Amino acid sequence: MIQIENLSKIYQTKEKVVKGVDNVSLTINAGEIFGIVGYSGAGKSSLIRCLNLLERPTSGKILIEQVNLMNLRGKALREARLKIGMIFQHFHLISQKTVFENIEFALRAAKTPSDQMKNRVTELLEMVGLADKHNVYPTQLSGGQKQRVGIARALANNPSILLCDEATSALDPNTTTSILQLLKKINRELNITIVLITHEMDVVKEICDRMAIMQDGKVVESGSVYDMFSAPTTELTKEFISSVVSMDVPEEIMAKCTGHLVKITFKGEVAGEGIISNTVQKFNVKGNFLHGLIEYIQEKPLGIFLMELQGETDEIEQALDYMSMQAVDVEVIRHGN
Amino acid sequence: MGIDVERITELVPEMTTAFGETLYMIGIAIVIALIIGLPLGVLLFVTDKGLFWENSAIKSILGFIVNIIRSIPFIILLVAITPLTILIVGNPIGPTAASVSLSVAAIPFFARIVETSLREIDKGVVEAAIAVGATPWMIITDVLLPEAKASIIQGVTLTVISLVGYSAMAGFVGGGGIGDLAIRFGYYRYDNTIMVVTVAILILLVQLIQLIGDRVSKAVDKS
Repeated sequence: MIQIENLSKIYQTKEKVVKGVDNVSLTINAGEIFGIVGYSGAGKSSLIRCLNLLERPTSGKILIEQVNLMNLRGKALREARLKIGMIFQHFHLISQKTVFENIEFALRAAKTPSDQMKNRVTELLEMVGLADKHNVYPTQLSGGQKQRVGIARALANNPSILLCDEATSALDPNTTTSILQLLKKINRELNITIVLITHEMDVVKEICDRMAIMQDGKVVESGSVYDMFSAPTTELTKEFISSVVSMDVPEEIMAKCTGHLVKITFKGEVAGEGIISNTVQKFNVKGNFLHGLIEYIQEKPLGIFLMELQGETDEIEQALDYMSMQAVDVEVIRHGN
Repeated sequence: MGIDVERITELVPEMTTAFGETLYMIGIAIVIALIIGLPLGVLLFVTDKGLFWENSAIKSILGFIVNIIRSIPFIILLVAITPLTILIVGNPIGPTAASVSLSVAAIPFFARIVETSLREIDKGVVEAAIAVGATPWMIITDVLLPEAKASIIQGVTLTVISLVGYSAMAGFVGGGGIGDLAIRFGYYRYDNTIMVVTVAILILLVQLIQLIGDRVSKAVDKS
């Protein structure tokens, strides 16, 4: 478990004082994948770099398994870092060393006996799917392959935590998906807690269990990814979510609608379509779908439909009440005229 | 004022000796520059702001000394450090004595080149090594030096070529060498043959050093 308590990182430049991280408190549970989202400059990068003290925070606590990293220096800090792997947007491999030597470097940091070195590197490269690349130099690898080497290096010393600093932001969509699948596999099979920062909501939707949204160095909202997708409370969260779950309907079509416009959200196991057809049959209303989608977040369906309901006002009221009773979120966006 | 071919044959033994002296002086100086200048350059880099041995006191003191030595014209340095030369080699005259001055000039020159080469390394690679829990020593030997290797080899080339130029002044302390021959016979005594031949030898030498340097630098670079 990682507990971040009142963490601040202040950058002092000649002209001004910049609060990179402003009094952030977060708890990241063991074994989960936690995503931190924000625009560039929101402070997410500073925050993740504070978690292994690549940047020393100005104040606050970072408790990892109850040990405050802020109290560690020199050898003790290096030993703590062996248990915190990190991967980077631009991979940061040693260009003059082979794939094998890059991973071996991490193992030597942990004083791994030399007779175990070869087996361990082989094992790691097999896990990331690069078993045939032992003696290749990083320049000869594609971006996705470099990130796999980065992952192998980060996992070399069996860490309990893996920090991902925009790990997929330099990769194309297909490669991003494959790297995310690999991270998920690592999380499941090795039970490694993953903390990732990204500006891409897709990444969070794909693999995170919980997330936090950052702006101006502060955490604006945090919670389970599913809850935040189904019921975002802040404008910023809504903005990020609309980047992956868009409910936009063209103006012209909206203008032609005369009835009540309602947004209906089905969470989890609720069979949405059935409820809607029941409602239309039970009450004297006509339903017209304007938009609809079902997203699977953490393997749980989330259905969002935008409908126009036409009919007598009290019939519509009753229909909406009926739907609300079926564990469905109903939000009237516009009343009919 | 023409070039006398017979005179060239006559001069071969003297030229050979001078060439040997040049190689000897430069050889010693470059070895010393590597032994002392390389660690000094690394130290200048890692004590800089934001690096793992950040130490502004050491950084400024070393930087100051390096700058002082580098600002003294070599011909003055050559004479000024005579006491040091006597202390080290017991004799202020000859190629060995000249190699002391050449070394003193080459150390800070090379150290700055090393520092610059290290500065070109992507900071992220160093950070990744820190994140992995590597010791400062591992970072120096396994990240900094390998990553800067090709550039440092170019720096050695540059230093050797500068030393070829400096070594011409070694005649001041009876150091000998090709450059000295060119100045004493060719320049002061208007002996064109000797001047042209020695300068030609120096040109070839510099070209050769550059060629080897480029080749080696390219051969070791894996990126």
